[in-house]
Amino acid sequence: MLTFKDIVKSYEEDVLGPISIDIKNKSFVSIIGPSGSGKSTFLRLASGLIKQSSGLIGYTDNLKPKMGFVFQDSNLLPWRTVLDNVLLPLELTKEDKSKSIEKSLKWISRVGLGGKEDSFPNELSGGQKMRVSIARAMVQEGSLLLLDEPFSALDEVTRRRLEDDLLEIWKTNNITILFVTHSVTQAVYLSERVLVMSSGPGIIIEDLLINKKIDVGFEGTHEFLSQVKHLTDILRNEGI
Amino acid sequence: MYRYLSFIAPLLTFLVLLIFWEFLVNYNKVPLYILPAPSDIFLSLIINYKDLFSSAFITLRITLFAFSIASSLAILLAILFSQSKLIELSLYPIAVIFQVTPVVAIAPLILIWVGFDNAEYAILILATIVAFFPVLANTNLGIKSVNENLHELFSLYGAGRYQRLVKLQIPFALPFILTGMKTSIGLSLIGTVVAEFVAGSGTSTGLAWRIIEAGNRLDIAKLFAALILLVILGIFLFLLISYIEKIVLKRWHDSSNI
Repeated sequence: MLTFKDIVKSYEEDVLGPISIDIKNKSFVSIIGPSGSGKSTFLRLASGLIKQSSGLIGYTDNLKPKMGFVFQDSNLLPWRTVLDNVLLPLELTKEDKSKSIEKSLKWISRVGLGGKEDSFPNELSGGQKMRVSIARAMVQEGSLLLLDEPFSALDEVTRRRLEDDLLEIWKTNNITILFVTHSVTQAVYLSERVLVMSSGPGIIIEDLLINKKIDVGFEGTHEFLSQVKHLTDILRNEGI
Repeated sequence: MYRYLSFIAPLLTFLVLLIFWEFLVNYNKVPLYILPAPSDIFLSLIINYKDLFSSAFITLRITLFAFSIASSLAILLAILFSQSKLIELSLYPIAVIFQVTPVVAIAPLILIWVGFDNAEYAILILATIVAFFPVLANTNLGIKSVNENLHELFSLYGAGRYQRLVKLQIPFALPFILTGMKTSIGLSLIGTVVAEFVAGSGTSTGLAWRIIEAGNRLDIAKLFAALILLVILGIFLFLLISYIEKIVLKRWHDSSNI
């Protein structure tokens, strides 16, 4: 799906890299690390929003896939209703209007906001706003979803619900997910693979495949806890 | 309760002040040409209503016209600024020069240019200059305040310059534009009145002209009556823009609930 080869990003000084990594199609990869380690820069490079200073970024078949981006805050346009916010990517790419509305309504319903189509963002809770943001990122039905600490401002219960919904979306839509988080437990719970980044300029100091024998109740298992401990120890040893 | 109080409290205070004013003037037998009592002013307003209301209409017409021209030009210019840094760097200082130059100082020049027979045009131009800057500065600020993540979102979907302007920058700047307009509408009224004072009568007989005329004749009650109409005009115009703001921002912006 996505390949980074010797990627370095510098502004006045290096902020990321060198990084070389392969992200497999349909995988769920989390990226953890301290503030300033370049996690968000990693996502922006993957999305093409910023250009690397050196190195090569490649996509499957050399074709940049359709992708959605979910930001840390929901980043909705406050003057647009839920439906209009979800419609936005399709409007910008000038897709057929009636089909666009149909798709948007499907995704609004899919994220559990059926009936809220005409609400404005300031009439929604934090969790609902994030659901709209996910629907907007998915409405193009692209193959890559990038999430930059999307649940960090939500309460525990809402966060857990959204995590499970995200897993469901990933499983049923055959998409690749790159998920940036501060939380080790969240990374282990959600992903198949966790990349740990060092303090800036960030490089990958651990690339861990998550051993997940069961889905339901995984959080209570010995595997889960030992992997969380392993990653926490790495971060601690790095002085993070 | 607070809602009623916010209406009743200033009204009561105003009434008490009027009664106190009426009492002081009558008790001290203050001559009419120094300070008329509120009852005299009210009487003058009734007697001279034809003159005063037609003048108020002229002032209102010029104010609204100047405000419309100033707002349209300012918004267009701010949009141009957002499209070209070079245009902004070239023109913004000139706009600031117009803003900081007292309108009284350039009034004679404008009057000479448009001709003394066209004082109304001079007033219109001067009021437009005064009302222009707040809308320009606020629109410019609004367009620049769009947060970087929203710009990134639009970049991600390959939005063009026009799409970005129409679907992101202008709607985002709308609360800023309306704030600028609220300041600007008051300034265009002030600009109209000041310009009328400076430009003299000519063919224009707005409220400022009535004030000068009443002052020259020592008809202070009429002067106050004209002044009261000016205040009422100012309040009306401010409420008009506030109402438009409420309608436009309706459900989506927190300020519309204040």
